[in-house]
Amino acid sequence: MSESTRYRGQVQHRLGVVGRYTLLVAMAVLSLAPLVWMLLSAFKPGAEIITDPFRFRVTTMTLDNFRTMLETVRLELGFRNTAIVVLAKGMLTMVFCPLAGFAFAKYEFPGKRLLFGTVLITLMLPTLVLLVPLLLEMSELGWVNSFPALILPGAVDAFGVFWMRQIVAAIPNELLDAGRVDGCGDLRLFYNVVLPVIRPGLAALAVLTFINIYNDFVWPVVVATDPEYQTLQVMLSTLSQRITTNQLGADWASVWGQLLAASTVAAIPVFVIFVLLQRHLIKGVMAGSLKG
Amino acid sequence: MTLLTEPRAARKAEPARGGSTASRARRRRRPPLAPYLFVAPFLLIFLGFGLYPMAFALQLSFTNWRGAGVLEWVGFDNYIYLLTSEDFWGSLANSGVLWLLVIPGQVIVALAVAVALAKARLRNLFIAALVAPFVTPLVAMAQVWIVLFDRDFGAVNLGLRDLGLPPVGWLTDPALAKPTLALLVLWRTTGYAVILLLAGLQSIPGQVYEAARLDGAGAWTQFWRITLPLMMRTVSFYVVIGTLTVFQLFAEPYVVTDGGPFNSTRTAGLYLYDHITNSDLGLGSANSFLLVIMVFALSLAAVRILRSREDA
Repeated sequence: MSESTRYRGQVQHRLGVVGRYTLLVAMAVLSLAPLVWMLLSAFKPGAEIITDPFRFRVTTMTLDNFRTMLETVRLELGFRNTAIVVLAKGMLTMVFCPLAGFAFAKYEFPGKRLLFGTVLITLMLPTLVLLVPLLLEMSELGWVNSFPALILPGAVDAFGVFWMRQIVAAIPNELLDAGRVDGCGDLRLFYNVVLPVIRPGLAALAVLTFINIYNDFVWPVVVATDPEYQTLQVMLSTLSQRITTNQLGADWASVWGQLLAASTVAAIPVFVIFVLLQRHLIKGVMAGSLKG
Repeated sequence: MTLLTEPRAARKAEPARGGSTASRARRRRRPPLAPYLFVAPFLLIFLGFGLYPMAFALQLSFTNWRGAGVLEWVGFDNYIYLLTSEDFWGSLANSGVLWLLVIPGQVIVALAVAVALAKARLRNLFIAALVAPFVTPLVAMAQVWIVLFDRDFGAVNLGLRDLGLPPVGWLTDPALAKPTLALLVLWRTTGYAVILLLAGLQSIPGQVYEAARLDGAGAWTQFWRITLPLMMRTVSFYVVIGTLTVFQLFAEPYVVTDGGPFNSTRTAGLYLYDHITNSDLGLGSANSFLLVIMVFALSLAAVRILRSREDA
């Protein structure tokens, strides 16, 4: 290899490195900029958001937006409702998805192929399709504007079952057999042998389930029209509804400030979880890619 | 970080028939009641809130039910009405344009970023930044979009004004509302696409690249000859997911534009929702089924096209 080709190779390599990090930094900045802007602007006086959107001064920082927002939106009610739904739906999912996954991974039983086929089909079904039929069913049951309607449909979802099946399948059969020799029944086997082994997978499922349920919007906005039962996300959207449907008076600046404050408050729980459990989350997001 | 779950596993996953000798021995030992009990909660919810409503909706799609009264059979009228309705096709066209604005460009950028990430330092930090938009509540960000892209007071236009440029009607000009909405979708989902592609990238064995290097292949040749062909499966998987996402798009247009201006952002999902607000439930059911068929057909087509290129 001649001196000049080696030199060219080095230059190309350098250029490659520069290009690579330029791309990555640019993407990271683009991803974070709207979030940072939202966070900082939420603490600015409403008028300043409009007159000076890119200037952030510590001296004029204020909680006014949050205060007025809390007067307009019943945020504490939204948080309470979301908490109830997240807890109940999350529990159902976290208990029964691994259990079903265990059955599919480690048992042979008549009808298993049919049942697992059901899981796969449900996995592919667009959520939007069930919107009308489910709403009808809810009104038949008298469940429109109720917690069961928010909690039960979509709980123990096919994705969770499918994913947990994959994870439990990786447990060696010898381990389970050893448990059986020790006299474990089926449920004990699950509790004492399977659960401890799949703990990392469970953590990822928990994080992903939390974020999915917390952020869920389509079903709650359809089924919870009464503010008493609206989740946080639905409650939030009532603010922007007033803008898009032009129900505003003159006070644009104030509403924008409220909008940003409300969005910030709604994002905080997710960010906390994100920062604390990022590793599990990424794993979950990647597995969640299986969700249609 | 371990990046697990390869899409390939999803497609191949089938219940193992027969199972190991150990599980067969277990089956002989005791009647299999436990597995049924374990699956029962999932099954009950599926039957109650999946299969039953679907069957009911199928029946409704042949009626003109409006939420009360007797079911009146109307045959295929709902389907014919939709298939000859400008609004229905208009909503599909809107979704189609959004697909074009989002998916092709996103796949290319995400692939480039994934390749760059594969060899980068501080990888976890970059990944965290890229995924943050994906976990942020959608409604929150959609509302931020309203504030950023407002014609008169939005931060983007004020920035343009400082550069001496005229204001742009991001959300009020029918020609621009779709791109602005697409930008929100891109912003939210690109990090997710990157992670997915990165996982595919990492499943390519290193020896393949080593062998190529020994044969004198440069970085560029390696990308075209190894990375791209071996990534086609993962890419097609993402295209399917992305297609499903775009054609089900609901919250973004619902919050940001409410379908306007002049219905330019009334997506397939939003149009479906209109039936609900109008209590046109028979029509809505028919619309649901048409949408399912189309989404499945689109996904299949996307996979076909990418597969054929993989074989070539």
